Formats: sequence, structure tokens, C-alpha cells
Amino acid sequence: MDSSVEGCSSDTLVFMELAIRQAKLALNSLEVPVGSVIVEDGVVIATGRNRTNETRNATRHAEMEAIDILIEAWQRDGLSTSEVADKFSKCKLYVTCEPCIMCASALSILGIKEVYYGCANDKFGGCGSVLSLHLGSREAPSSSNGQGRGFKCTAGIMASEAVALFRSFYEQGNPNAPKPHRLLGNHQAGQ
Amino acid sequence: MSQIIYIPDKPPIPPDQQPTVNVFAAVVEPKLINNLVRCLNRIAPLENLRHVKRVQKKHLEDGKTLIALILCLASENDSDMDAMPQDVQEIVTSYQLSAFITKVCKEAATTKEEWEEQCKLWPTSYHPPTYNIDGITGFNEEDTQSVFGFMRLAVELAQSNKLIVNAAVIVDPSAKKVIASACDHHVSSENASMSNAGGKIDFRNWLESVGSHLDSNGATIHGNLPSSASLKTLKQSCSTVSCLYPWQWTDQQLQHLSNSCCWHPLRHAAIAAIESSAARDRRLFPTSGTIGDKSVETDIGPFCNLAKRQKTNLENAKSEEKEGTDIEGICSKSGRPYLCTGYDIYLVWEPCIMCAMALVHQRVRRVFYAFPNPNDGALGSVHRLQGEKSLNHHYAVFRVVLHEDVL
Repeated sequence: MDSSVEGCSSDTLVFMELAIRQAKLALNSLEVPVGSVIVEDGVVIATGRNRTNETRNATRHAEMEAIDILIEAWQRDGLSTSEVADKFSKCKLYVTCEPCIMCASALSILGIKEVYYGCANDKFGGCGSVLSLHLGSREAPSSSNGQGRGFKCTAGIMASEAVALFRSFYEQGNPNAPKPHRLLGNHQAGQ
Repeated sequence: MSQIIYIPDKPPIPPDQQPTVNVFAAVVEPKLINNLVRCLNRIAPLENLRHVKRVQKKHLEDGKTLIALILCLASENDSDMDAMPQDVQEIVTSYQLSAFITKVCKEAATTKEEWEEQCKLWPTSYHPPTYNIDGITGFNEEDTQSVFGFMRLAVELAQSNKLIVNAAVIVDPSAKKVIASACDHHVSSENASMSNAGGKIDFRNWLESVGSHLDSNGATIHGNLPSSASLKTLKQSCSTVSCLYPWQWTDQQLQHLSNSCCWHPLRHAAIAAIESSAARDRRLFPTSGTIGDKSVETDIGPFCNLAKRQKTNLENAKSEEKEGTDIEGICSKSGRPYLCTGYDIYLVWEPCIMCAMALVHQRVRRVFYAFPNPNDGALGSVHRLQGEKSLNHHYAVFRVVLHEDVL
């Protein structure tokens, strides 16, 4: 939420478009539609989409999926921890929805360079909405050299597209689902 | 003595130092009360002050009763009488009231002591907590022993490594059964974890040096640790505890470890335990993940309200937790739990913010930890995630202080 959307480069839009495409893949798999891509030197090196339902692991957010692809690949290539850290410090993440508190913290731990996101996440957002972990941690007095790293964060890239995906996810609902609670509440005592 | 300490949602504040806000008030004739209250509730409702009573009755020494009424919120600038909204001002004028500024408590009282202090300023209502998560009002003897037992298990797990690491044990408390357990994977400990030849890590030092420097709320008192050589060594050896030093994964000199294929900077004990419990879920209930039988996870995105309205689950899915009152409903007919709903997690160290949020996502019911985490502790030490109202799930947090005999 540091920078305004205006004047964002066409590259930014291209990468966010790819993240949106990942979110659509999630939607088609009945997952909450969030997608992400990680870019190094102008090249997409990983993509990820939400897989929380499939894995039954609610931490498998789009960011985590993309991050894990890289960590695995770089370990396979024999990179050391400091080489991996060096890699992350050159990476930019594009994600359709503001990283949640968990993912924002993870991105800070990895030392990612920059994050671009679509819509804000009022309930869980860790990049300005609920907490501001992208600013880095200033409250860690006893970790002098382990201070939480911040990262540059730009909000609102193709936000309406990201929101539209959420809407279609919740509106399409589940054809097998019972009628919504609120309607039932009118007819059934003590629902 | 070992003990279990509840870590509240809000940082403890002395009852007489509660935050206040300014309001306009006026003394009014008793016969005008009903009319004025009705009128003011319409034009100047006390939206965020529902705990504050609109009317204050004071019994004077001469037997008379003085009735004062809150007109509306005032600015925080004490002397600014002009800030009253136009329509309230009109009431003041037409009833010839003399408005004054007074203070009321900003937040609803959470304890009787707080409430008594609040009423000294202006009367408020007090509703004792109605949630019924076991333990908030005290653990019975059996549960207490069970909590100590599982925490010992977590400590033993942490001790089984050569490096000092955090350990996590996810437990189904109703069956007193371990669902999953894991240690930090953020560093490669493949060599170390093979054997325990290095001997057990002595947590007693840690307990003595850190455990004794806690206030009664389990919060660490910073910068007050003894600087003994042994503590220094201990602190150095604790640099491999992921949640204590989440940003130092690059400093750990593990590169020399042969084909260290299993380090992962984010695979802290809690994250690894969640992964393990999810794998167990997929293994035990392999068929329930098909499309027609899917619970829709609503953890992400700004439209959770929409999602709730259209909660699209089948019988398998559990409805949104209502302050822990529907614990019985955790298990579906197939016995498959929804994520970690109803489960507890035991951690040796207070989780960092990443792990704490992961535990929210996975719907853990209670978090127990033995040692606070002054660097990045998310459940009382640095952040207090259990008190973030916007989250769609909240767990209860306890610190388990183990007596050195059991370590």
C-alpha cells in the first residue's frame, strides 16, 4: 500500500495477468481464486495458485506454492542457504490478493525484494490491512541482526479483476450445497 | 510448581488506566429522559460504545437524584465545544441544556475489576465472557495432567535433536490422541536427527534464565536477562530455533552438511505439523476430497461475508465456529474433522507471526507453549494475534510453565 497504482509499467500488468490466470485455474478447481507468479530479472520463474482444499492444508496459499517450487528447484541445483537468500532478494512477487499475515511474514523471512498485489484483504491482510509486515519489524530488540526485513509493496494492480474472480467463486457456490443459512434462518426455529 | 497461564486477547492494562473517550453530556430533568434518549439514539447513536449507558443516575447526599445524559461523542480536544453536530446542538438549545464534556471508557470491560473502575467514570454494562472454551475458567485435574503430559512430549521431541529446535505436537484433546508432530525443518538436521548421541539438551538452564523473568501474564520482560556465560551459550545454541530467529536461516552454517536436501526456511515446527496432519487427513479419508464433497475454504479474500451467507458445504463441513459452542459438531458422520478444528497444538516456543497465522488458518482450537519468544512471538510477546478481531477464527492461548523436575 506504499505506492499508487498509477503509472505502473506494462510489465507489471503482464505479470499480474499471469497471476490472474493462475487464480482462474484455482477457480476451476473449486479453490479460492488466488494466483501468484514470482519474477526474477523480468522472467517468470515460478507460478502458484491456492490449493487449500485439495491439500486440506489451509496454509497452501498461492504464494507458498510458488515459493516452494523455487526452494525445491534451487536445492536440487545445490544452492546453499545464502545463495537461496540472494536469489530471493532479487525476486518480485505478483499476487492477485494482498498476502495474508502468514504469507507476508514468510515473504519477509525470505527477504523478497518487492510485492505487487491486486485487491486488499481486509480480514487477513499482512501488507497494510490488518498488520503491516511489509514495513519490517521494529519490535525485535533482542535480534539486532535478525530484524524483520521489509519489502516494497504496491497495491491495487488489476484489483477489479481479482475481485471479480472472488465474486464468481462465491456466487457460483456449490451446486450441491444446501440453501444459504440466512434464508433457512427465517423458516427454521433455532437453526 | 508447573502451571497453565491463560494469555488474554488484549494486553493486560491496570483497571484504572483503561482508555477513555470524550463525550458531551448534560444534566436533564427526569421527565425529559425518555424523550431525549429516544431522540438521541436516532440522531447520535453511540455506535462503538454499546457498553456505555446513555444515562447516569447519581444519588446526592440530600436524597435527590441527579440524572445526566450522554448527548454525543466529543472530540479529543477537551475544550472544543463547537464540535457538536448541528442536530444535537438544536436539542441542547431547545431544551436549554448546559452541555459539558466528560470521559467514558472506550472498551467494554473484560473483568469485574475493570467494570468497577469504569463505573467510577460513567456507568457501563458488563457481560462476563460467554465463550466456553475449556480451560479459560480453569482446567480440572485430569485436563491439567494431560496438558503437562503433551507439553512434556513436545519438549522431549525438541530434545531429540542435536540442534536446539522448536517442536510441535497437534493433539485431539477429546481422544487424548496425538494427531501429528514435527520439529523445525528450516535447518537441515538430517545428520543430527539420526541419533541422539549428543545427549539431551538441558532445558533447565533455559527455564532458569528465561522462565524466571516473566511477569504474571506470561509476557517477557525485555532486556533483563542475566548475562552469564552459560546463558550466552544457550542463546547461541538457540539460534537454530526457527520461530525465535526466523530471519537468520541464512546465517546457520549448515552448508557443510552433506546433500542437505531437507532444509526449508519456512518449514517451522508448526507449519510442518500442519502439513503432517493434512497428510494424515488425506490418508485416512482419501475419498472425501472429491469435488461433490468438498468444503469450501473461505480463508482468503475480502468476501468472507458473502461466503458465509452462501456457505457451500455438504454434511461433511462444519459450520463456522460459534465461539467454541459447537465443539460437538467437529466431526462429520465420516469422522473426518474440518482441518484442525477442535485440536490443540503444543509448542516448546511461542510461535512466530507466520506460524501463529498458519494455526488460525488451520482452525486450531487452543495453543499451548512453554517458552515465550521475545523476538517474534505472535501470541503475547510481540504481537497478540489472538486479539485481532478481523480474523475469522480465534484460538485460546496458554503458556505452560513446566517445573524443572519435569524437564
